Amino acid sequence: MAYSDKVVDHFNNPRNMGSFKKDDADVGTGMVGAPECGDVMKLQIKVQNDTIVDAKFKTFGCGSAIASSSLATEWLKGKTIEEAQKIKNTDIVQELNLPPVKIHCSVLAEDAIKAALADYQKKTDGQPTGTK
Amino acid sequence: MGHIPCSFSLMDNHQSSSHPDTRRQLQMARSMCWHCQSEVTGEYFCDRCVKVQPVSKETDYFTCLGFPRRLMLDPQKLEAKFYELSRTFHPDFYQTKSADEQTISLSNAAVLNTAYRTLRAPIQRAEYLLALETGSVKDIRTSPPADLFEEILELQDTLEEYRASDRDSDQGHRLRSTLKTEQEALERRKHEMEAQLQQLFADWDQLQDAGEATSLARVERDRILKQMRDLLSNRTYVNNIVNDLAATIA
Repeated sequence: MAYSDKVVDHFNNPRNMGSFKKDDADVGTGMVGAPECGDVMKLQIKVQNDTIVDAKFKTFGCGSAIASSSLATEWLKGKTIEEAQKIKNTDIVQELNLPPVKIHCSVLAEDAIKAALADYQKKTDGQPTGTK
Repeated sequence: MGHIPCSFSLMDNHQSSSHPDTRRQLQMARSMCWHCQSEVTGEYFCDRCVKVQPVSKETDYFTCLGFPRRLMLDPQKLEAKFYELSRTFHPDFYQTKSADEQTISLSNAAVLNTAYRTLRAPIQRAEYLLALETGSVKDIRTSPPADLFEEILELQDTLEEYRASDRDSDQGHRLRSTLKTEQEALERRKHEMEAQLQQLFADWDQLQDAGEATSLARVERDRILKQMRDLLSNRTYVNNIVNDLAATIA
């Protein structure tokens, strides 16, 4: 099955490729992999006042995995942490028109978002400004 | 062409299945012959009417080929069994049989081919066993190897740099030799992982042979499966980047 136009577009012009310093306090990093196919994905968010102001990714994998993470970073920008939690892999499947064999790529992207959010929250929970 | 009469292979199997020893454990997931409705105790054929029986879709590939769930299978024995069963189910030998038997022989031959392809390669065999033993591979949640991922993504950057560079320039040469060194290091790591896997395969077989149902044995079983899962995944990651490196700097 051929890739959809949107996948090809994201693959040829990936948005937000790159990385932030993962030790920065306002950065959350999600690092996930798919053991079945060997794809590796790193997705990072930069957060200010509970809002994701920037997002970056690096993916080593197939076109669909790259497109899924590229799309995810686009969607994340401007969202609050709470809104970002609601992004589902099925949204990515729909937007990119992924065939059934490539659904796991969107799952990987959702996992990466969740991992990045969790990492950021872990950092902020430890802050002296927090309730703890 | 060396013809093996159908009746010969039928008889052969018929006789061997009448030995009620270990073979009994390898029964297909069914109990009644589709033809004569008598209880089926044979492996691939009905004891009473000698009709070929369909290998159930739920039958695992080890059972299908008549091997226990072990990871250090003798490739020659595996091959011999595959050839034997290929002859047993070969559609050519069923041309004079009923349409039902022809269909069964064809589908059995197909299952057999997949089973052999899966079990022939040790890594694939282990991945298959893991899926069988854990239900789904995803059930064993492992923490992703962050260091390895960082390394892979960094290498990916260097690869991109090399792809964009002029191959004949000094920078191109330098990048190429860096990548070559990385490739060799990763290949060594891949071999180390494979050696560790070999050890786990041996551990698994030993544990299965001992056949103890103690809680200690359960702990050991889980340890082996988990370590195997980690190693198999990490090996896949490393393997992918090694292939990518090899293809780019070839």
